[in-house]
Amino acid sequence: MIWLMILFPLLGAFINGLVLRKAPKSVSHAVAVGAMLASFACAAVTFAHLMGSGGEAKVIHGFPWISAGGFSAPFNLILDRLSGLMILIVTGIGSLIHIYAGGYMHEEKSTSRFFSYLNLFVFMMLLLVLGDNMLVMFVGWEGVGLCSYLLIGYWFQDDANAAAGMKAFIVNRIGDIGFLVAIFLTFKHFGTVSFSELREMVGSGTLDAIKLGAVGWITICLFIGACGKSAQLPLFVWLPDAMAGPTPVSALIHAATMVTAGIYMMTRVNFLYYLAPSTMTAVAVVGGLTAFFAATIALVQNDIKKVLAYSTVSQLGYMVMACGVGAFDAGVFHLLTHACFKALLFLGAGSVIVAMHHKQDMREMGGLSKYMPVTHAVFLVGVLAIIGFPGLAGFFSKDEILWKAFTGGGPALWIVGTVTAGMTAFYMVRLLCMTFYGPNRSDHHTREHLHETPVMMWAPLVVLALLSATVGYLGVPEVLGGHNIFHHYLDPVLMIPAQVSENWAFLTVHHEHALELGLMGASVGVMFLASGLAVALYAKGPAPVLATWANSFRRTYDVLTNKYYVDEFYDAWIVRPLHDMSEFLWAIFDVVLIDGIVNGVGQVCALAGGLASFRMTGSVHRHSMVLVLGLVVLLFILVV
Amino acid sequence: MEFFNSHVLSIMTFLPLMVAAAIFIVPDDKFARVAALGGSILTFFVSLHVWHYFNAGSAKIQFVESYVWMPEFGIRAIFGVDGISLLLVMLTTALTPLVILSLWNSHVSNLRYFFGALLALQTGMLGALVALDLVFFYVFWEVMLIPMYFIIGIWGGARRIYATTKFILYTVVGSLLMLAAAIVLYISYHRQTGIYSTSILDLYNASLDTTTQLWLFGCFALAFAIKVPMWPFHTWLPDAHVEAPTAGSVILAGVLLKMGTYGFLRFAIPMFPLAVKSFAPILVFLGVVGIIYGALTAWVQQDAKKLVAYSSVSHLGFVVVGSVSLLADGSLSVEALTGAIYQMINHGVSTGALFFLVGVIYERRHTRMLADFGGLASVMPWFSVMLIIATLGSVGLPGTGGFVGEFLILLGTYQSSPVAAVMSATGVLLGAIYMLTLCRKLLFGPVTHDENKKMKDLSPLEFSYLVPLALLVIIMGVFPDFFLAKSKASIEHLAKNYRSYSLAIDSH
Repeated sequence: MIWLMILFPLLGAFINGLVLRKAPKSVSHAVAVGAMLASFACAAVTFAHLMGSGGEAKVIHGFPWISAGGFSAPFNLILDRLSGLMILIVTGIGSLIHIYAGGYMHEEKSTSRFFSYLNLFVFMMLLLVLGDNMLVMFVGWEGVGLCSYLLIGYWFQDDANAAAGMKAFIVNRIGDIGFLVAIFLTFKHFGTVSFSELREMVGSGTLDAIKLGAVGWITICLFIGACGKSAQLPLFVWLPDAMAGPTPVSALIHAATMVTAGIYMMTRVNFLYYLAPSTMTAVAVVGGLTAFFAATIALVQNDIKKVLAYSTVSQLGYMVMACGVGAFDAGVFHLLTHACFKALLFLGAGSVIVAMHHKQDMREMGGLSKYMPVTHAVFLVGVLAIIGFPGLAGFFSKDEILWKAFTGGGPALWIVGTVTAGMTAFYMVRLLCMTFYGPNRSDHHTREHLHETPVMMWAPLVVLALLSATVGYLGVPEVLGGHNIFHHYLDPVLMIPAQVSENWAFLTVHHEHALELGLMGASVGVMFLASGLAVALYAKGPAPVLATWANSFRRTYDVLTNKYYVDEFYDAWIVRPLHDMSEFLWAIFDVVLIDGIVNGVGQVCALAGGLASFRMTGSVHRHSMVLVLGLVVLLFILVV
Repeated sequence: MEFFNSHVLSIMTFLPLMVAAAIFIVPDDKFARVAALGGSILTFFVSLHVWHYFNAGSAKIQFVESYVWMPEFGIRAIFGVDGISLLLVMLTTALTPLVILSLWNSHVSNLRYFFGALLALQTGMLGALVALDLVFFYVFWEVMLIPMYFIIGIWGGARRIYATTKFILYTVVGSLLMLAAAIVLYISYHRQTGIYSTSILDLYNASLDTTTQLWLFGCFALAFAIKVPMWPFHTWLPDAHVEAPTAGSVILAGVLLKMGTYGFLRFAIPMFPLAVKSFAPILVFLGVVGIIYGALTAWVQQDAKKLVAYSSVSHLGFVVVGSVSLLADGSLSVEALTGAIYQMINHGVSTGALFFLVGVIYERRHTRMLADFGGLASVMPWFSVMLIIATLGSVGLPGTGGFVGEFLILLGTYQSSPVAAVMSATGVLLGAIYMLTLCRKLLFGPVTHDENKKMKDLSPLEFSYLVPLALLVIIMGVFPDFFLAKSKASIEHLAKNYRSYSLAIDSH
């Protein structure tokens, strides 16, 4: 069943990519959606089986893949509560997005290539989450990167899209080198790269100092990989550019699934991270900073997808921060809720973009609630979910992270998280207002054609909105009278090795309910304040006072709109010097120096040969004979 | 059948030469192409026979044939294959029919001589791979040069004479050093044992002192380093590739370069083991420099073919690093060596495909400058699919053979030298940069040149030689064990026992 689940999307990709290249859109859409639904059904059955048998982890043996010397990486899968959850997210939300994409790509001439890539992506993502060793995971890891590259650059006629795809692939590969080095280290020190075997090794004994040191490096290197894929500082630059792809792609790959792979991977090897406290500190700090910086950028963006992109970076920062304080379950819980509401927000934005004839600038929108009531309603749910409106999904998951950040990371981390939550509320409400409320600012022609999207597009949104509203109740904290089902669900996946258990005691220790409630109240208060401010400034279109503020804080404003000039910095200090050096190596070192020597030697030989050979026979044969004899003599002198 | 079984390697080796002779005699291009294709396919089937009956569990030399030639000098013609040479033999016999297919409708002058030269070249390559006698190896090694000299010199581009002369002189300088070293080895062996022998099975047992081994290793290594080519002896390669016709480039990159890395494994390392410890760091250093240098220079090329040529310098750097990664206990890393051997094959497949693809657009537009293209994905979708698959193989995406090779090389190297492995791993990143730059400039963006709007997508003929390579890129990534199973025993034998190496003859 599990193999079928993986193979359906691959089959769909093959059919669409090779057989149906000229097929009508409806056929290629039907094939892709059919493959996804079949895969989802298999996933659901697999999950039911898993939970039916108590949720015990099991390894499913495939075929021997790579083996050489002492190394072997069989193509085995691991099915446990973590990967079980992930396959539901990937195939479930994946199916909804596939259905939606049929409507979104309506104006394309042919969509078989698009759906082929999209199905292939799901296949790779399933390999990523199911691989039982680092190498199989790495197949999925780079495979989703490939699909991301192909889909970002889907409209390749525009060179900017192709450039964005390439940037995504290359920045990800920087992280991938970290991943690779982590694999080498793991093999060197543990002799295996299988997750289940590693877990057993770590769980069954105490590690010596050398192994502990190695674990420090392994976790750091893996985290570099996670920074690439999950768009953390300093490797986040590819994700905003990735918005060049069609919006369903942004929803599926660059919000709900692929970009969360880093969090998934760290959770998969949580027992190693627990052993490396310094790495954990670095993870928490990077996550917190990423959450904060990305949110500041999102405050001033005017492109609807760019706001959501930076919001994604910021939310991923939350998840990484949760991992960093040891609360992997909170991180994965936020992964789940985020997958629902961010997919909803992106698809909602996609509907808006379609209605607006592919304009994405929010300054030209406004008042769309009148024209698109359904989209507006579901979008509102999404916004409330992400800003942590009490009762919706984001509230529970974000609050869990903030609470763990406070108890595990201290007040500073909590403040960063809470301020970020405030900014999140501000920019999301700003986005909501600029898009759906106030006067419509689009031109006459666009306004005439504004309309609600077809049912194929809004129906998946309704499902996602229901999920965004309800999925949070899986993790109601005990302080609110819940049982935090989710926490208990993931418990068997997490393993704190005995030798470091006191480091992580705070994760289980009982705290004052008053404190938890107080912090919760504070963050909700910040959220309401920030939302209120955004409503006041943007509810009737951007308030005039904003322009004056932008002017009086021109420098700050410019830094934010230009995303801290990070891209420019990388370009000026890394890409260009490297390119110039390469030019130098080729044009000067290769062509002038080495070839100069080679040609020079040739000329000297010709000259010398001409002088030495009175009869000017020019016989290569003779010269080579002399050369050989000379060498033989020389060698004999040395040998004898 | 009895005769076939006991002479299968010489039949495989000399069949192409005999077909070449027939082609020279019959003055007809149509006959030439049918004969060339038929002959090369027949050769491939003979090699499949060898593959099929090769005993996977054994590290011995198999299908051995031995003929007395000049007994007074101890020169015998000994042919045999083991797991080290088997994959390269298969690569050679598989690539040659595809190259001949690519010339099926060619309009170059003297086409039949081109076919003849290719087949003669194939005999040279196969001979060098199966010869287990120094004299015969040397003869085949030099025989490879002559057809390639003509292929570049006659059917090449504008600066073909410069390029082909440079190619020959570079190689000959190295070969002569190797010859000199071989003579010293021959005489030393005689002084020790009183026996004249050029059989490398005997010469493996020569016990030379360290100084001699260092000198002889150096001479052999230089010859092989030029052939690979390792940095800084690589400048003949871009020139040779740019001037060579497509078919020549495919063979040159696909098989010829590997003769250098094969030489290290068959000759330099097991014959002069005491020198390995001193030379390994140098070779690893040059390999790492080659990986990075080749990648960086590839990145700034304007000519698609030159870009692919420099990428070979980078890829072969990986092979060199993997061939000499010395562990603390003095043995070679089995993982790295496996990767190196696999990477030779992968490089032959994916770079062969890349040269074919560059040839496809050159034939249509008579230019290879990147600036003359752009947006080909709209006009040539199948071409784009093939180029992207070849690119993925080249950048070593997991799921392609290139990944298996590079990964094993890096994994093994990391156990011996983490610094070298991490430095080499940057090649994985740089590889993506230059290959995706190539794809972007050729395939993506708007179609800016009117001439490109009418470019025809791949013809059935072009499919016929590109599809097998594209399939191989993926199959080799998913089922590496199928290809590597027959080499395992030999690789482990070499890696663990190269210090007291001997090759036994499988007598069945």
